[in-house]
Order: sequence, then C-alpha cells, then structure tokens
Amino acid sequence: MTHYAMVIDLNTCVGCNACMAACAMENQTPVWDKNKWRTYVHDKEIGLGSDVHRRFFPRLCNHCDNPPCMTVCPSGATYKKPNGIVMVDQDLCMGCRACAMACPYHARVEVTWQDVKEGQKFYGSDYRRRRPSVDKCSFCEHRVEQGLKPACVETCVGSARLFGDLDDPEDPIAQIVASGVARPLMPHIGTRPNVYYIDDIRWRG
Amino acid sequence: MDVHMTYATQEIWTWWLAIYLYFGGLGAATLAVTFLTDMYLKPDRGLVIWGAGAGVILLALGSMMLFGHLLDKLAVIHVLSPLVLFKKPDAWIAWGTQFIIWMMVWGVLYALPYVRETEFARQVPVIRNLIDRSFVIGIANLVKRFRRSVGWLAVINGVGVAVYTGLLLQSFPAVALWHNPAVPLLFTISAFSTAMAFLILLMYTLLKDQADEHVRVLYERIDLVLIAAELVVLFSLYQYLKNGSESAVRSLELLWNDYGWVVGFIGFGLIVPFLLELKGVIRGWGGRLPILTASVLVLMGGYLLRHYFMYAGVYAYPW
Repeated sequence: MTHYAMVIDLNTCVGCNACMAACAMENQTPVWDKNKWRTYVHDKEIGLGSDVHRRFFPRLCNHCDNPPCMTVCPSGATYKKPNGIVMVDQDLCMGCRACAMACPYHARVEVTWQDVKEGQKFYGSDYRRRRPSVDKCSFCEHRVEQGLKPACVETCVGSARLFGDLDDPEDPIAQIVASGVARPLMPHIGTRPNVYYIDDIRWRG
Repeated sequence: MDVHMTYATQEIWTWWLAIYLYFGGLGAATLAVTFLTDMYLKPDRGLVIWGAGAGVILLALGSMMLFGHLLDKLAVIHVLSPLVLFKKPDAWIAWGTQFIIWMMVWGVLYALPYVRETEFARQVPVIRNLIDRSFVIGIANLVKRFRRSVGWLAVINGVGVAVYTGLLLQSFPAVALWHNPAVPLLFTISAFSTAMAFLILLMYTLLKDQADEHVRVLYERIDLVLIAAELVVLFSLYQYLKNGSESAVRSLELLWNDYGWVVGFIGFGLIVPFLLELKGVIRGWGGRLPILTASVLVLMGGYLLRHYFMYAGVYAYPW
C-alpha cells in the first residue's frame, strides 16, 4: 500500500518562497491574501547578539494518519484517501471552520465566495474552483496520480522538500524517516503526521 | 524544533460562537428542566410553553449565529438529514445539529396541546388558524396519549445539546484549555445553572403563581448546588492548567490575569450569586430582589464563561 509522506530539511531551505509561488499557481489559491496560501514559509531569527541565524520554516498540511480536521468535519467534506492524502470535497464543505479550529498545524485556510470571484478574475477561464470551502494542501494529488511530484517539491531549489512513499523501503523518504533524523511535528498530540522535519539547530550548534 | 515555538490564540470562532454555545446550552437546558418539572413535579402549562418557546427561540438564534458565518450556506443541507450520523458519527457538529433539530421538533410537539388551550394563541389569527386545523388537532391528541414519551425525547435531545456544546470544544486536540474532560462537564453544569436562573427570573416576574413557590425554591436549591459544582470543576481546571503544557499555562495566564474572567465571571457570575442564593436557601430573603439579582448575574456569567473560553484557547506552533 502506498503511504505518501514529505520530508523537509530545514538545513537546506533558503527561504526563497518558490514553493509558495509554485503551490499557489498549481492549485490556484488566493494569492491576494497571504493567510490563505496552502503552504507558507515562516522566517524567524534565532539566537542572541552576533550569534543569530535565520530559520526558514515551511509549513503545510501534515496529512495526518489520525487527522483531527477530518474527525470534526460534520459533512464528510474532509476525507482521507487510501494513499494517505487528506483531501477536501469543496461540494460537501459548508465552511463551518471546525477543521481550522482542530488543526494543530494551522493548515486549513478559508476560501470565501469573494475569493472565488477574485479567483475567476485572477486565473481567468482556467480557474477550477466553483464554491467556497476550508481549503488545504492536497500534496498536489492530481500531479502525484500522474507520477509527478508535488509542485512545491518539484520547484524547491535547495531540495529541502522531499516526497515519497513511506511503505516503500527503497524510497529515500522511508529511509530518512526510519533513520530517525527526520521527526514529525508535535507527535504528542496524537495526529500521526506524515510531514517530517530535519532539524537545523542541531547541526548548526 | 521544539525550542522555538510560537503561541497564538485564534480569530476563527469568536464571540458569535460563544453566543451559539451560550444560547444552545441555555435554551436546551431550559426546555429539559421545564418538561421534567411538568412531567414529574407539577403539570404547568405556562412553564412548558415558556420552556419550549425559550428553547426553540434561543436555539434558533444561536444556530443563526453559526449559520450566518458558514462559508457556503447552501451546503448546510448535507448535515440536516439524520443519516449524517451514519456517515459522520465522530463529528460532534453532526450530533449537535441533530440534537438541536429534534429537540425543537419534540419540544414543539410536547407544548402543542398546552398551546391549543391558551387564550393568547387563540387571539393571534395565524396561530389560531394553524392550531385549529384537523391534522394539528390529531397530532395534539396523539401527543397527549404519549405525553411522557414525547417529553423524554425532547429532554434527551435537550440534554444532548447542552453536553454537545462542551464536547465540540473538547474535540480540538491542539488547545489544552479545550481538550480536556472538564470542558463538557463545565459547559453542561453551566447550561443547567443558567437555565435555573432563567426560570427563577421568569417565575418571579412573568409567571407569578403563588402555588409555584415550592418549584421556585427547588430551582434555587438546584442552582446553588450547580454553582458549587461549577466552582469545583473550575478549581480542578485551574490546577490542570497550572501544571499542564505550555498551551495550558498560557491559557491560564490569559484567563486569570483578566478582570472580565476573574471578577466578571468567577466573582459576579458565580461567587456573588452563590452567596445570595445560599442565604436565600438557609435564612430566606425579605424580598425577591436578591434572588433576581443572583439570577441575572448567573445568566451574565454563563455568557462570560463561553466568551473567555473562546478567546483564551492557545495554539502552540513549532515555527
């Protein structure tokens, strides 16, 4: 069984935000509002005095194996595919935002009727969205189905984002995760996330 | 990665959701208490009509708050059918929606025979025309026959709504303030306490029947016990937050450093009414003003609890 996951190496992320742009164009997200991007790179200064470095921290949906956003969704709009990708059916979503409240990773963003109208102007006749919903990253499922990598992974200049199948022992992703060098965010919450991070502080220290 | 966390409150569900939770709990508990009183303590037409009316109106107002903030209002159709419980038995909003709908349906049905007997209903042409229709008379007769069954169906759904308001918040695992077993307990106790206060207020002002004195006294005593229980749960919650995760500690700091919470909710919303009602129960009051004041304070405190709870939930982000 395929079990998709992503590894993000904080050592090689240079904060170019190309992943954000690639995701926005690929998935036609509301680029006019930075709070509504499916993936976002946080920029933070860490350290004291002259011993300071910038950390770029990409965040996105963690496609949890125990996704609280799916549990709380009353209409079944948020669902999980057998390959591990958590999806949103925009026709079923009524936009109650319970998923946004439940997500520990700030991965759910609201797309309103106003955004849909704006999107029709911005993206023109190619615009695919028909209704509002509480949107999220889909690991570019439409690309993955064709054997391609998600847009953010494809475009990453520092190869900070890796994508693959956790259930394939030959896949570099599976090997990195098994080695313990990449760790999930806040596993104590019990969400069993499928996005793993390689820490930068440890190597810099 | 865990050493540089960002702590943030949310602006997704704010005051309007606090109103939804407040009206939901208050309306549902009021309906449940009045129906139980009518079934087992003293048949009381006025109380049932007020209880059902308040329950339906408050639930409708509260639900409008949630409905008004939906991104796609038409899509609400997907949660209105009871079949949603087979599709999403793990989603509390699905349960809550069904509890609300069926509480309203059984509540209106239970009150129907009483409504047909009131003068007021006869004086309003629209209501009079409706309640004199043969199928409505048939339903009313059926309800009279199965009065307790209909009453219990309304009560069960009403209690379901009250408990649901707390379970909904508890289902968000990222926030320590919400994701703990004290929350459904606190919200349920608060719902019934505010319902008691609302009914005491009602019985001292609009439903002034001397024969109801023993019901009023019982409500005051129950409210006293409920406020005491609420204080105990709050104390437990305080201890849990004080020694909990960073999210918990930050929520505690937000709440217990805020006069609205400490003075407004705990002081005037719980302790002052508790003392006023305690004296009323032990020694009695000369007039009704102290008990009315206590009731108003409990009602105010009920909203403050939910308002501050919504704003004080802290998320811990590892970036």
